[in-house]
Amino acid sequence: MLKIFPDFLKSLRPEFHQHRKNVHLDSFFTFTNYRYLWFMSIFILALTALSPICIATLIYYQLIETSVDSDLNHRTKQLTAAAKSAVTFFMEERLNALTFTVNENGYEQLADNARLSEILNNLKLGFGGVTDLSVLDAGGNQVAYAGPFNLEGKNYKNQSWFEQSLKKMNYISEVFTGYRGVPHIIIAVRSAKTDGSFFILRATLDTERLMQTLSSYKTGDYADIFLVNHEGVLQTPSMHYGSIFTPTNLIFPTDSDEIEVREISLKGKYIISGHSFISRDLTSTPFVLMVLKEKAGMLKFWQDMSFKFNWIMGVSVIIIVIVITFASTFMVNKLYRADRAKAETMMQMEQSQQLASIGQLAAGVAHEINNPLAVINQTAGYMKDLFTFKDQTRNDDELAEYIDSILDAVDRCGTITRQLLGFVRQFDVKIKKVNLQKLISQVLSFHKKEAEYRRIHVTVSIPDIFPDLETDSSKLQQVLVNLINNAFQAVEEGNCLDIIASQIDTNTIELVIHDTGCGIPEENLKKIHEPFFSTKQNGSGTGLGLSITYGLIKKLGGRISVQSTEGVGTSFTIILPVKIKEGRIA
Amino acid sequence: MQHIDILIIDDEIKFADMLAKRIELRGCSKAVCYDGRSALDWVSSHAGQISLILLDLRLPDLYGTEVLIGIKKINPAIPVIILTGHGTENDRKECERLGAYRFIHKPPNINELMTILEHIRETSAC
Repeated sequence: MLKIFPDFLKSLRPEFHQHRKNVHLDSFFTFTNYRYLWFMSIFILALTALSPICIATLIYYQLIETSVDSDLNHRTKQLTAAAKSAVTFFMEERLNALTFTVNENGYEQLADNARLSEILNNLKLGFGGVTDLSVLDAGGNQVAYAGPFNLEGKNYKNQSWFEQSLKKMNYISEVFTGYRGVPHIIIAVRSAKTDGSFFILRATLDTERLMQTLSSYKTGDYADIFLVNHEGVLQTPSMHYGSIFTPTNLIFPTDSDEIEVREISLKGKYIISGHSFISRDLTSTPFVLMVLKEKAGMLKFWQDMSFKFNWIMGVSVIIIVIVITFASTFMVNKLYRADRAKAETMMQMEQSQQLASIGQLAAGVAHEINNPLAVINQTAGYMKDLFTFKDQTRNDDELAEYIDSILDAVDRCGTITRQLLGFVRQFDVKIKKVNLQKLISQVLSFHKKEAEYRRIHVTVSIPDIFPDLETDSSKLQQVLVNLINNAFQAVEEGNCLDIIASQIDTNTIELVIHDTGCGIPEENLKKIHEPFFSTKQNGSGTGLGLSITYGLIKKLGGRISVQSTEGVGTSFTIILPVKIKEGRIA
Repeated sequence: MQHIDILIIDDEIKFADMLAKRIELRGCSKAVCYDGRSALDWVSSHAGQISLILLDLRLPDLYGTEVLIGIKKINPAIPVIILTGHGTENDRKECERLGAYRFIHKPPNINELMTILEHIRETSAC
């Protein structure tokens, strides 16, 4: 396993990372920036593969969130409705019991303490939560009392609940502590004596019983059910807002009896809140029922699921990226290898083409040398003849003349050899000053006889004031040899070959090699600088001459263009810098 | 009119002259032309009096093959030896097709030339 890991990393690493810089070889590469190619390949593939997944996931999350939200709202509303009916029932049940008691017994019986105690016991048995009972007259004086506290003779005339009770048929108070300091609710029912004056039956309800009823609707740790009054003061303890009587901001417009559900933010938590006013048919209570559900708690199942989903997503994305990196590395490696092989072949081809152009020259040289050698041969042969046929050895002017003839022919051979050597040696030299006129006549000298025999009119036109080029003379020479060779092959007897140089500006010169030869068909014009394209039959051409010429001119910092009309002629136009830029030469 | 054994047609003056001298030393008569047109003129004025012609393929005014065709038109019987410095196999085939007697590369062996001349004389004597 430990061994496999470095191999795995190695296969992700593309080969071009180990590419050693070789300016000469690099100039033949089709793609120069493999790092960029590799990164772009990974980036585009990853973008294409991952963006649909990401978009689908986002849409999925959005849909789930919307449906969970509506589900939460629905459930909160249901819970609020259930709790509301329970609280309403709690209040109604006790109020009805009290109303029944008043109607059944009448003032005389109720004013009797013993009878009142009996009724209290019955109520405690039937409903529970009733702490005491008292009967008050219209003046607020306590007439009778049953219960654990000694409250006889107290006057409630100035208490607000008493004033409220007198105004209505029945009354339910807010939670308050009263004289005893214990939270309780007062339920009061107003009735009339036989003389027509009012009296009130009052019961004190323990809030403990109400809180139990509310708690029974709590589901889980994330739900909070409590009551507030119309001013927003807590009537039962709340998990979120604190203990009883704490003021809150939960104040609602009183015009609606409906259950309302909304989403609020409390201490950084998202909460679904439902509320409803508690009222009965005849009497409204001062209570508002609040149901709060923490979204986080209710979302827990979904969050667990999305956590798993995120894990799967993350692992998938990593696998996809690894596979994409693998594929990109593989493809780019293939491309790089092919490109490198092509570049190496092209470099070898350039070298062999260089050798081929020397070979062409050698053939020309052999031709040029053959004539003087024939002269030497005949002259030496004649001298031998003289010794054989005549008896001449000394003071013979004719003999001296023939020796001069031999020496002259040897000189001619020597000149040609020197020219060739001079030509070949220039391949060693890099950038130097080149006189274009000299270079052109040097190249043309190898075609002198051919031009003469085939009656090709060669003209060279170079302005008198023309700068020496600072360039790679061997490359420029090879360019000229290739183009002039091509021109000679294209022209027929009596045609013209014009070589015209001109200076465009201080930094640039133009060289036009124009022939009135066979021309290049239009469909071939685009292909002539492609490697191995040749129209020469029987494999007499390699198809590399012009391809390499294009490469060489690129290396010299110049450019070449061709105009040709079939049957009329061809012009190669070369634009070259007067001074080649440093570092351009491989 | 004087009979000529060998007519040399070559633009390399020194070579032609030297070859002529060597032929002369061997007791044969010779004539020299340095270009194609004068050679054709010379042949037409001496038709029937030339035993053998040595012809270079590359001449400043005409191709050797053109001269060969011209000679054959004037007198198809004159044997013409092509003497060339750089003739290719194609040149040889072309010349043989046009009726050249031999195809020899420069420099020629003088003794070989004399043997050929001897052979021609014998066959024409028969």
